[in-house]
Amino acid sequence: MDQITFIFDIMVPAFANGLLITLALVAVTAPIGFLLGVGVACGRVYGGKGLSWLMQLYTIFFRGCPLLLLLFILYFGLPSLGIVLTPFVASVLGFIFCNSAYNSEYVRGSILSVKEGQLIAAKALGMTKNQAILNIVLPQALRRSIPGVSNEFIYLIKYSSLAYMITVIELTGASKLIATKYFAYNETFIAVAIVYLALVTITTFGANALEKKYAIPG
Amino acid sequence: MDKKVVSVLITFFVLIGVCLCGCTEKPAEEKGAVVAPKATAAGSEDKPTYIVGIDGEYPPYSFIDKNGEPQGFDVESVKWIADEMGFNVKIQAMAWDGIIPALQAGKIDMVYSGMTITDERKEVVNFSDPYWKVNQSVAVHDDSEFTMDDFKAGAGKVGAQRGTTGAFWAEENLVNKSVMSADMLVTYDNFPLVATDLQNKRIDFAIYDRPPMLDAIAGKPLHIIGEIDTGEDYGIAIRKTDTELLETMNEGLARLMASPKWDELKKKYEME
Repeated sequence: MDQITFIFDIMVPAFANGLLITLALVAVTAPIGFLLGVGVACGRVYGGKGLSWLMQLYTIFFRGCPLLLLLFILYFGLPSLGIVLTPFVASVLGFIFCNSAYNSEYVRGSILSVKEGQLIAAKALGMTKNQAILNIVLPQALRRSIPGVSNEFIYLIKYSSLAYMITVIELTGASKLIATKYFAYNETFIAVAIVYLALVTITTFGANALEKKYAIPG
Repeated sequence: MDKKVVSVLITFFVLIGVCLCGCTEKPAEEKGAVVAPKATAAGSEDKPTYIVGIDGEYPPYSFIDKNGEPQGFDVESVKWIADEMGFNVKIQAMAWDGIIPALQAGKIDMVYSGMTITDERKEVVNFSDPYWKVNQSVAVHDDSEFTMDDFKAGAGKVGAQRGTTGAFWAEENLVNKSVMSADMLVTYDNFPLVATDLQNKRIDFAIYDRPPMLDAIAGKPLHIIGEIDTGEDYGIAIRKTDTELLETMNEGLARLMASPKWDELKKKYEME
């Protein structure tokens, strides 16, 4: 088989399918992971002792548990408790836990960077604590968290390849299957690396644009 | 930029450069030291050392025991051949679906781990004379009522280990012949994971070489429903350029199969 047929008849269709799955994994995980991360961060900063401690436990557990192990537990372990997840759902769940735990730390850092005086001033103007957090602190904190959160987003694009270990044939999985079958390891893996690089480059530009658009004036 | 900052940055990059060079050169040195026969006078040092790649989860042929030591029919065979033919071996367990590239890249010198001789593999590596014949077996859950006919008709999801002849068989005969759709074939990193998912009932059938299948399903609520007579031969895979090693291994295999050790091994690993 010559290179051209290999690339167009085998590599491109397989990559296209794999890429769709990778994008689906990222598209479902990223928004939920982000919102959950903001929730966990707020819980840690503003929650009472109990909630704060609980959120800290969440972060410690999901940042400390290797993602692959987490996926194995969700996919191969849970059925022994009668919970049988599909490979896609198991992967997305694992990614959300991991993604939100890391995001919560980026967001917490940016919340702490907003001076406490603002919260006090807002309360003095008659806002409740929740109103002040939502309208004064978070709009500033979330803008400042863009570099960190987009960093985690880029990382998510790449660690979504772990889904392949629990039988989701995403981009890496698809490439590994053709590489094994046609013994074309170098060509396939270089091609797949270029696809990932393209994804990450697009994300980087997107994040930069977002940062510029939402920059705090002054 | 501040001069101090610049000099710190330069030092930093130089250090990184040095580290990277160190990283790339080291394996080459190691490899040279391992593969090339040493010219020292001491007895055992004279022998060349070959690195043997195995699947660490392929009992009874090759597996890693509780103490982290490689064991199995093939592992003991290659050690016997090494003694007989006068070389040293280092056993290296690795991922099965990357084992042929590792062989081609010179990370290992042979694959002696129940590897089926196929035409596709023969295009990229040489094989020794065959030393064992196997068929593919199909297993289901004890609660399942599926038969071999159901399996061949694509009645349920089929699980297989990636890069194995079982996975290739299912793809060629079930997926490519449109007996079932491509998403009915689920592939895994190793066979214990396939067995786990069969137990979890996510898949309906598992296909694998018979001897390791027996080992993987032992003590689980799974049983074998039948075999597919593929008449596969196991051989030792060796780089195309290593013709001398191929001759050595063929000679060693012939001596092993003619010796009482062969029967002893078959008995020990309950191969018949």
